[in-house]
Amino acid sequence: MNDKHLSMHRVRKNYRFFTLDDVSLELEPGQIMGFVGPNGAGKSTTLRLAMGMVAPDAGEIRVLGCAMPADQAAAKRDVGFVSAEMRLLPHATIEWHMNFMKAIYPEWDGGYAATLVKRFNLRPEQNARSLSLGEHVKASLLLALARRPRLLILDEPTTGLDPVARHDVLSELLDVLRDERRSILFSSHNTVDVERISDSITFIDRGRIVDSNNKEDFLDRWRRIHLQLPPGSSLPELPNIVGRVTDGQFVTLTTNRFSEGLRALIGPHVREVQRMTLEEIFVANVMHHREARGQ
Amino acid sequence: MLCIHSMYSGINISQTDARPMYLQIMEQIRARIAAGDWPAGKELPSIRALAAALNVSVITIKRAYLDLETEGVIVTRHGKGSFVAEVNGLAGELTEAKLEEHLAEAAALGRQLGLTEDELAVRLRRALKNPDKKS
Amino acid sequence: MNLVIRKLIAKELYVNRWFVAGGTFSGAASVLIAMLGKTAFNIGALTWLTTIIATGVMLALYGIMNERKEHALQFVLSLPLSIAGYVRAKMFGLAASFLIMWSVSCAAALLLVFAHDGVPDGLAPYLVLLCVFMLANFAVVLCGALQALTEALTSAVIIVTNMGVSIFMFTVGPLPGISAHMWGPAPVWNSTFWTVLGCELAVLVIAFALPFFLAARRRDFV
Repeated sequence: MNDKHLSMHRVRKNYRFFTLDDVSLELEPGQIMGFVGPNGAGKSTTLRLAMGMVAPDAGEIRVLGCAMPADQAAAKRDVGFVSAEMRLLPHATIEWHMNFMKAIYPEWDGGYAATLVKRFNLRPEQNARSLSLGEHVKASLLLALARRPRLLILDEPTTGLDPVARHDVLSELLDVLRDERRSILFSSHNTVDVERISDSITFIDRGRIVDSNNKEDFLDRWRRIHLQLPPGSSLPELPNIVGRVTDGQFVTLTTNRFSEGLRALIGPHVREVQRMTLEEIFVANVMHHREARGQ
Repeated sequence: MLCIHSMYSGINISQTDARPMYLQIMEQIRARIAAGDWPAGKELPSIRALAAALNVSVITIKRAYLDLETEGVIVTRHGKGSFVAEVNGLAGELTEAKLEEHLAEAAALGRQLGLTEDELAVRLRRALKNPDKKS
Repeated sequence: MNLVIRKLIAKELYVNRWFVAGGTFSGAASVLIAMLGKTAFNIGALTWLTTIIATGVMLALYGIMNERKEHALQFVLSLPLSIAGYVRAKMFGLAASFLIMWSVSCAAALLLVFAHDGVPDGLAPYLVLLCVFMLANFAVVLCGALQALTEALTSAVIIVTNMGVSIFMFTVGPLPGISAHMWGPAPVWNSTFWTVLGCELAVLVIAFALPFFLAARRRDFV
């Protein structure tokens, strides 16, 4: 019984200058997955595939148990979508949009919507045309959140937001997760936010999934090991080293599978073992994979 | 002035602190238990509620609670929630654990500085003589 | 028809309300002007034609091209409907918007022909053909705009179809079956009339139906 909120299996999508290939993803209920990748890596394409706006050339996509894009009308009943490039209907006000959603979705929570309007500092009588980018994102988020959908798919949801607004948005997103039957998939450049609120993280680069794991494992396994090798000494053969920088006697190793055993293997020359931020892990991971693919 | 009084409003995760988030949370929970603010038997916030309150991922809170349970600081009853462990002298045990932690750190720093065992002992004795000196 | 599509059709009418209202008013007003005299008739007729054509163009431009350009398309596609459903909502919504303006304008013009003594009743068949032609024209514009993915192509469709009106007037008007009776006192519904009408209706039906088979089947919509 497939109870995952989103599952993509070996999905491929060909474009003239870009191919998304062998993309597999799984999102369980009660989880937030952060989707991280450089510009042009294929994040937006992946999310559009999940929403049925685009059809895959190979592979399977299931959202809330529905095959995509065939059953997208049924799936989207319970999926909220926000993308930074999305715009509301011009010549209509935020209030009009709220009434529109209320008419379409019976689960619309007017009280919560009103709270969000205040929280996000929006004016309902404002025309969509006159909204700034940040206000547009906040308005779109409001329209998606107030429906309380089971699954939220968000493409760069903190674009154009000042730190206070970002904090408010992240706070609302985590509030969603109070209900373990709901889940969120969001893509972001902001690795600090992703590191903080994600349960699991997927890295994508040049159309391929580079790595996917739960966040604590990522942060646990990656380390920078700083050594000082006196002249004449050398290092033994070491497993799981994905990067090595040498500056005279000073060597910095990057590992993606740190353990005390590894430290012991290296020997007495270790000066320091440092944890890495998600951003550093991401960059090291991508570099390693590009190298491995001969790019 | 905005005054917030609630069970975990003071728990904070620092972005600039190099230690992992789950460790920071564990330490702050241990501190409240040791101080007596969270007495034995008190129910901890649910994992999801604390995650939402702290703006942190659920998995981080899960890990913190799991490790605290392994340490015996809290007890999780399946289906009911997590509670501060009812163990006598828990406060003492926690302080004990903290001492071990600090000693291990001192040893590591001493090694880094290249101090011998005796040199390190001299420093320790000096610190014992001046208990109020904070560096 | 399901709720989402109904709401989207209503949205189409709401969003285009100024074009529809303006076009309807202008169409009716042109007919009133045409009643006033010979020169006025020419002015009114021209305004009437222009109104119907312009409203159709505006609806196609704003209804389809702008939505796509302004990325509001993603918002609509995030609603619980399929691509086929979106096409349906668009077609019916824009058709409804156009029909309101068109039916009022054409009814007014027909009324003028039959009720006003200054305008010969013989003009009626030509008028009917002209009205149906512009409806078919709009259907072709809709079909083309939904099918064309680029702004350039959509604009081209709009320009070409509007040239069609002039072509209509230069080809159908001089047809012997039509021109002979155009200024007569009574309308003549002859075989020329029915043939031309038949062709127009065929184009109308095909153009309106085509998106449901082509655009609706498209798998990539953004």
